[in-house]
Amino acid sequence: MVDLLELDKLSFRYPDAPRKAVVDFDLTVGEGEVLVLAGPSGCGKSTLLRAINGLIPHMYTGDYSGDVRVAGSSVRTSPMRDLAQTVGFLFQNPENQIFMFTVERDIAFGLENLGVPRPEMRKRVNEAISLLGIEDLSQRAPHELSDGQKQRVALAGVLAMRPRLIILDEPTSLLDPKTAMELVDLVARLRKEMGTTFVIVEHRLDLLVKVADRIVVMNAGAKVLDGTPRDVLFGEDADGYGVSVPVVTRVQKMLSRGGLAPDDRLLSAAELASIVGGEGA
Amino acid sequence: MIEFRDVAFIHDNGVKALDRVTLKVDAGETIAIVGENGAGKTTLVKHVTGLLKPTSGMVLVDGIDTRTTSTATLSRKVGVAFQNPDHQLFSESVKEEMAFALRNFGFPPHLVEQRISWGLQLFGLEEYRESSPLVLSGGEKKRLTLACILAWDPAVVILDEPTVGQDAIQKERLAGTIRMLGSTGKTVVVVSHDIEFLWPLQPRVVVMKSGHIVADGPAAELMAKKEMLESARVAQPQLVSFYQALAKRPGSPFVDALEARRWIEGGQR
Amino acid sequence: MWLSGGFIFRRGTSRYHKLDPRVKLLISALMFVTTLIVRSVFQLVIVLAFMVAVAAIATVLRRVARTMVLTATFSAFIFIINIVITRNLETSALYASRFVAIVVSTSLFFITTSPDELEQVMKMFRLPRDVVFAFVTAVRFIPVMMLDALQIMDAQKSRGLELEKGNFLRRIRNLVPILIPLVVNAVVRSGELAEAMESRAYGAVPRPTSLAVYRARTTDRVVAVFAVLTFAFAAYSFYFLLPTFLP
Repeated sequence: MVDLLELDKLSFRYPDAPRKAVVDFDLTVGEGEVLVLAGPSGCGKSTLLRAINGLIPHMYTGDYSGDVRVAGSSVRTSPMRDLAQTVGFLFQNPENQIFMFTVERDIAFGLENLGVPRPEMRKRVNEAISLLGIEDLSQRAPHELSDGQKQRVALAGVLAMRPRLIILDEPTSLLDPKTAMELVDLVARLRKEMGTTFVIVEHRLDLLVKVADRIVVMNAGAKVLDGTPRDVLFGEDADGYGVSVPVVTRVQKMLSRGGLAPDDRLLSAAELASIVGGEGA
Repeated sequence: MIEFRDVAFIHDNGVKALDRVTLKVDAGETIAIVGENGAGKTTLVKHVTGLLKPTSGMVLVDGIDTRTTSTATLSRKVGVAFQNPDHQLFSESVKEEMAFALRNFGFPPHLVEQRISWGLQLFGLEEYRESSPLVLSGGEKKRLTLACILAWDPAVVILDEPTVGQDAIQKERLAGTIRMLGSTGKTVVVVSHDIEFLWPLQPRVVVMKSGHIVADGPAAELMAKKEMLESARVAQPQLVSFYQALAKRPGSPFVDALEARRWIEGGQR
Repeated sequence: MWLSGGFIFRRGTSRYHKLDPRVKLLISALMFVTTLIVRSVFQLVIVLAFMVAVAAIATVLRRVARTMVLTATFSAFIFIINIVITRNLETSALYASRFVAIVVSTSLFFITTSPDELEQVMKMFRLPRDVVFAFVTAVRFIPVMMLDALQIMDAQKSRGLELEKGNFLRRIRNLVPILIPLVVNAVVRSGELAEAMESRAYGAVPRPTSLAVYRARTTDRVVAVFAVLTFAFAAYSFYFLLPTFLP
């Protein structure tokens, strides 16, 4: 697998800040991977995300050392207009990333900015709309939509740019569990159908464990854990970093210590029950 | 303490947000209101402080009819922590922010001082006494809004989606605060779709769907009803799913789901 | 409330709504100019009647009627002030009713023209891209800000703030806890919007392309010509013919 994203000893300090927000961060993400970034509030996740899509250093200046490379090109030297076509960013609040009065117009926003000719724009907008299943929303005004619908619209706008890597910043925070599951299924589908790479910041790990290839935990700007969900969540340190270890995993951990459950992979509630319940059926 | 008598609420645009809602919450109870977004949870909460008046039926708070009382008066007894702290912080300093409600409710100056100190201590915000509330972090702002509410010591505390955007440590602290409120005799209402957060608190649960109350009872009982939860689009706590799956297995080392639960939760402590 | 009823766009399906926005602008502009040309209250009433007729065709009659009534109460002030200053009943009435007509003609344009159409019109007038964008985004967020304001009021009422009570000065003071969070939220919102704009390549090319097409149809041309002719006729009549027949 080719590395789509490379963070090479990245450090960043905001001007007038006493401490660095990101400290000596190393990370590689391969094409098609789904990586979940977790850590306590204030650990620097937001800063890291912005260093990946170029808002740092193009929009936010500060003490920047190390490098971030997307598809081989350094973020520092690539202009935002190029980065915007490779890295998509879905911000936490869907409201504040929808600009136009009509959904369809907003999905085309990025393409209009790039000067994409109308026929190609039309094609991509239709494609994004159908990928997200929001055909019936295309002529609506954003303030008429629910939070979940707004999020889909914002995501469509990102997808229309056909990015190879999409960043999702706490995408489930405003959603109820069922809608959140629908989003997770969507991520899985996009990864499968389009080969899109995802970097997702999230607290609610129980929802994302299904689709994550890797979990990276951050604390005070530094990377502290990096591994498969099983490795990270089964490890002793996860709790200490305020990571929400899913309840079922906790139970599995407990039972595995007593020899009642395996510890080589993460199990769902049903799977765990079937194993613990003994052989049969 | 709080009573809804056959309450219906219809928006200006004709949408029925609450339909035949009847609910009674006794003083000192801790209850959780769950349901998908749009089920009417926040609408219900707004009726308690009179922000919304019922289209039909009535809402009583400590015997007072909300239809004829102002929100400010009702708020003296019912503190509501809304989801977004940025919708209320405006003062020059944290202490001024805490004084705002106290002064509105007519607390004398020396008592205001006392309550401010007490609240800041309780929520670990003393160091920010003179700082602007706008520079606090998200988690600190949420603690500040809670501190502001507890300063005026309402009998009822309502928390609207308190876990949104909170990390595991913050949620632990929040759970502790809720337990503390309950143990000091306050009536606590938590509106949340975070079922994993609510489960260990074992509150009374009210399930809402499309403006109706579809279930009302102890958490242990209600969370076992899979079909009801499915139709209300409420997630089932993972532990409950586990116990249920376990209980169905033949040859299970546990006699029943309840025993499994005792074993596991005993081990968790 | 009056402002929102009179100037906020709401989707409609009438033939009028479907007209090219330039034609709608033309019609309102012509109405506007007509109100400045008329010389008597009687003539103005004719113009107002015409506006009401157009509003009816555009199926926005109720809103326009309400705007008229609410503006009329405000223009009573104008009437009184003019009476005091000029002591002339006729001209005072003219000024007051002219005010109503001006508001209604402008309102007619805004309530039937969507922000996207407004954007097209602004682009056609070669306004700078940043200005057009700022305008469209501002309009898009009006309902959001209104909702914010309501939520802020709810939150502060729940802390004992009584917005209804007190003398004039007290009421102004009580707006501070509403206005500050509103402004702060607007500022934070702009910051987030800026991030989103950058992330979607705003400013990448000097002349962005557009998904929407606005081509004038025959209907639009016909209506435009008809509007100009009507205006010419009305201007002539009001200015020359009628005064010779009526006071």
